[in-house]
Amino acid sequence: MRIPHFVNVSSRREFLSRAGAGFGAIAFNYLLAQEGLFAAEAAGAAPAPHHTPRAKSIIWLFMEGGPSHLDLFDPKPMLDKMAGQPLPASFGRPITAMGTASNELMPSKRQWKRHGQSGLWVSDWYPEIAQHVDDMAIFQGCWADGLNHVGSVCQMNTGSILAGRPSMGAWVTYGLGTANENLPTFVILTDAGEVLGGPKNWSAGFLPASYQGTLLRREGTPIFHLAPPETVGDAQQRSKLDFLATLNRRFNAANSGDSDLDARLQSYELAYRMQSAAPEAIDLAKESDATRKLYGIDEPETEKFGTNCLLARRFVERGVRFIQLYSGSGSGWDAHENIEANHSKMCRQTDRPIAGLLTDLKARGLLDSTLVVWGGEFGRTPFNEKGTGRDHNPWGFTIWMAGGGIKGGQAIGATDEIGMKAVDVPCHVHDVHATILHLLGLNHKQLVYPHNGRDERPTIVGGRVITSALA
Amino acid sequence: MWNKRRLIASCCFLAGLVMAGTTVRPRAAANDREFTQAERQFWSLQKVAVVAPPAVRQRQWVRTPVDAFIAAKLESHGLTPASNADRITLLRRAYLDLIGLPPAPDAVAAFLADQSPDAFAKVVDRLLASPQYGERWGRHWLDLARYAESEGFKADETRPNAWRYRDYVINAFNADKPYDRFVREQLAGDELWPGDPDARIATAFNRHYPDESNARNLLQRRQEILDDVTDTVGAVFLGMTYGCARCHNHKFDPILQKDYYRLQAFFANMRADDNILLAPAHEVERHRTRLAEWEEKTRAIRERIEALEAPKRQELLDDFVTKYPPEIQAAIAKMPAERTPIDWLMYYKAKPYIDPASHEFVATSRAVGNALKGDAKKAWQAAKAELEVFADLYPGEPAIGTGIVDAGRSAPPTHTLRLGVYDRKVEPVEPGFLTILAPGDATIALPAGVESTGRRTALANWIASPDNPLTARVMVNRIWHYHFGRGLVATPSNFGAAGERPSHPELLDWLASEFVRQGWSVKAMHRLIMNSHVYQQASAVDAPGAAALDSQNALLWRFPRHRLEGEAIRDAALAVAGELNPAIGGPSVFPELPPGMASRGGWKTSEGADRNRRSVYVFVRRNTRYPMFESFDMPDTHESCPRRDVTTSPIQALTMMNSAPVMEWAQGLAARVLDGGRANREAQIALAYKLAYSRPPTPEESKIAFDFLQRHREILAARARSGGKLAGAGALPDGVDAVDAATLVDFCHMLINSNEFVYIN
Repeated sequence: MRIPHFVNVSSRREFLSRAGAGFGAIAFNYLLAQEGLFAAEAAGAAPAPHHTPRAKSIIWLFMEGGPSHLDLFDPKPMLDKMAGQPLPASFGRPITAMGTASNELMPSKRQWKRHGQSGLWVSDWYPEIAQHVDDMAIFQGCWADGLNHVGSVCQMNTGSILAGRPSMGAWVTYGLGTANENLPTFVILTDAGEVLGGPKNWSAGFLPASYQGTLLRREGTPIFHLAPPETVGDAQQRSKLDFLATLNRRFNAANSGDSDLDARLQSYELAYRMQSAAPEAIDLAKESDATRKLYGIDEPETEKFGTNCLLARRFVERGVRFIQLYSGSGSGWDAHENIEANHSKMCRQTDRPIAGLLTDLKARGLLDSTLVVWGGEFGRTPFNEKGTGRDHNPWGFTIWMAGGGIKGGQAIGATDEIGMKAVDVPCHVHDVHATILHLLGLNHKQLVYPHNGRDERPTIVGGRVITSALA
Repeated sequence: MWNKRRLIASCCFLAGLVMAGTTVRPRAAANDREFTQAERQFWSLQKVAVVAPPAVRQRQWVRTPVDAFIAAKLESHGLTPASNADRITLLRRAYLDLIGLPPAPDAVAAFLADQSPDAFAKVVDRLLASPQYGERWGRHWLDLARYAESEGFKADETRPNAWRYRDYVINAFNADKPYDRFVREQLAGDELWPGDPDARIATAFNRHYPDESNARNLLQRRQEILDDVTDTVGAVFLGMTYGCARCHNHKFDPILQKDYYRLQAFFANMRADDNILLAPAHEVERHRTRLAEWEEKTRAIRERIEALEAPKRQELLDDFVTKYPPEIQAAIAKMPAERTPIDWLMYYKAKPYIDPASHEFVATSRAVGNALKGDAKKAWQAAKAELEVFADLYPGEPAIGTGIVDAGRSAPPTHTLRLGVYDRKVEPVEPGFLTILAPGDATIALPAGVESTGRRTALANWIASPDNPLTARVMVNRIWHYHFGRGLVATPSNFGAAGERPSHPELLDWLASEFVRQGWSVKAMHRLIMNSHVYQQASAVDAPGAAALDSQNALLWRFPRHRLEGEAIRDAALAVAGELNPAIGGPSVFPELPPGMASRGGWKTSEGADRNRRSVYVFVRRNTRYPMFESFDMPDTHESCPRRDVTTSPIQALTMMNSAPVMEWAQGLAARVLDGGRANREAQIALAYKLAYSRPPTPEESKIAFDFLQRHREILAARARSGGKLAGAGALPDGVDAVDAATLVDFCHMLINSNEFVYIN
């Protein structure tokens, strides 16, 4: 039975906030399957999409720090012509992060070419990704609200530049539940430092905490406490957990009426299974050399991000719904000066891995059901900073999407002649979110959760689906 | 049942931050409007009613007036209360509830031996008198105060003296500070009791806003801070979702957009004061003398260092200041006499970063030294080494606190803001209360002897008044909420139309009156509630019919079982392990982090027993919560949290079964069980149960445990034979070998993991 989201949310919320979703939802499903409990509540409580999803999973390639749309996907001949001139007066004098608005306009040094059947422009910084333009919808008129990294990364993840709201991954987990039994539904991988702002970017905000994303660690254990202490072997742990189950079952039987007691009992079994399932999912030993090469794992420069891209594909195969990969985590793309060196490096790190991911997903028949999103928290300014860099530009920048329900081979929207502001089909962060949710089968206006007297939704008060992007 | 009114799309908390082009554009101005009859009669805005406890049939069940209200409601629904909780369950409930620690076996024995009718009342009194009470209930208040010890945003810098507010709260609960005084101190302690360090520290309630040190647009930053303060004060003290009225009139409640800014105007001249001198005058004087001595002896060296640093320092400062927009730079550069009130606020906002005496100074000696190069760097390092010789003479920093004050006697004007955007002023407003309750401007008197507006005093007095319909109701409901896991109003910070209606409105009013009558004493409310029969019921479902009628147990036909918070689980486990360090107060501590934790947001683990301080003393980093607490739903500290989520996840299970600290607590518990030379397995089981669960095992439980130990020992013996490592458990008595001990550790480990341990039953 399909139940719209807004019906009987109260009991659903009550239930989920005790059983939890995400991991907890696994517990919930497990309970349903194993114990046949809560049958009456199940119909209202089981998460369901609002419409047929076009994508089952999303891989969000987050270029943290702000990649320059002007040097990657949004060529501006006029910018070359006006090089050295100040920003025209018609633009006003924007407050920028570094107070650079009176600096001269700086041309792009890139070589640009049209690619594929569609003839979309991509610069020579992304030669391999350029081979996939026919699968990509390039949103050239994106815009956002924040000036600084923390607020802007936060907004790209949660819709708001102020911390505290649920991230999109949390909303999707809340809306759709889990699609696998042994792994988290929402995972985050990083390649360098800590993402600016940290866990609030994958937080559940005011949703129950278990909807939050699970950050896989760059080194050491990917999930805290996944390995038993060195004094505990497998048979020993099983014996302990069996005893614990006995204790809990007896206690729960004597104290019936609280479903969370049973959920807690089951959460230990899930934890037990994760101990082996999670390491298996992240073990790349069985991947062929050809696959490793495809993702660039054989080259030092592309090894890290390539590994994360390959992990993302493995997670997709195992039913993980929402996978976020940060490139340059800790603001690696933030090219305030010497953008040549910075972006050359960052593009080399990501070009082959991303192209390899698209190729691999397609070859395995997964691209149709997997939405791939590329973008940063904002773009960069047409005027220079320190002569060789570009400042933050939230007024106009580029995001592209491929796979899962996207109509490829098209550019959507545009910035002005120098790439400063979005002017045509402006696509706010909320619109990006609404579109992504739509492709995953969720209506951003119906996906609500009551908080402080308001039915909160992922797009706050904005958001519209960019229908021209849909296949 | 889900209510239709909540489906209406409503307020746009954050639209104010949008620069242009939101899809919804509410009308700009805060329009005055007529209030409807229904709004004027809305329950929470009515004077607290004088009500008498109702007459009920089951008079023998009624121990306090509270019970009469509960029983009347149950009777009207044809329900009967549950049987009494057994005495040990009740004792453990009271301990976990009031002090967050389980009772030790001797406390259980003493209680069981005391057959006097007021045995339980005496326990409640004793617990309320123990300092652990404030540590437990203070933590609840810290949730509301969005308490954290760091800034948030990108750098998330430490706020070195924030912990003094935590101690203030703990002490206030322990001293049973009257709630009206507690409110006044937190809102306006600096104006009302400027000479009282406690009252000054209390103002940090409004200093816990997240902040961004590298913000450029300080006008916008100020607005965001004011919004945080307005939302928090409205929610915490008044239970009103003022935040919904930032951009337009409230969609459900009679809160005008104007009212949002009327409340905000009380804080219009507020600034951070991170240099509140706490030491008494003679100590300050002594410190000054010692500092002068050190300065005298090191003058030549410091002058040399200063000469080396000066140019680079100026460079760093210039670099910092010129990133501000011109009008902010101008405000900073102005002569004091020329500054307008808003200039002063901009100046004070920037000052910490450009003031050498501040923790946030951007050009500290270290920062400058790091930026030096070549010969200058060498000379600087040499001079610093010379200075180091005199380090013993340096008197250190005097004890200072952090809080807020006004920037002077006149405040900048406050306006309603279109969409809440800081520079889209619509119309000026003066400080004022909810228009529906008090339509005029607030009466404000300039305080004597303080350079302050007196605005916050006026607000504090209005809130802390017995006549305010919200204040007492909201607080007694919070107390009820923490006792039962659910308030009489289930949305403790939303007493508006979109919040829940009170399950027992008469009881709420009776409690609110009683609260005021008993001098706003929080401890009096604890006594009243805990000595009531409703608190002393069993939590098990012994009347299935009741569950069908009231599955949420809103009518309280049984005691609602609820899970302990992560902090309390840790405290309780440390206690039963015999490892809890009971030290009270002081700077925060840094217990062990999980392996694999990234360096950013991480910390250096405290040494020795400091690791085992109570959880309320664990450092609260805004951007990175302590992982164990976070997994057990510790709230995000970016906003006030009136009611924690209670989730169940395998991450919690992984933490409890695999983390080193929990294993260590199990080892501690096992060592206590073995202490005293207990080689007898039944005796070990019995003691472990008493320590962990406060009760002896039943014969059946003892047998189950015995069989487990027998079976499990075989597994561990095999493990030992194959060279596997075993967990130790202190010194082993005769007749107990390492395999026995490790077996017992695993047994204790599972007791700590079990539902019986982590629930208040």
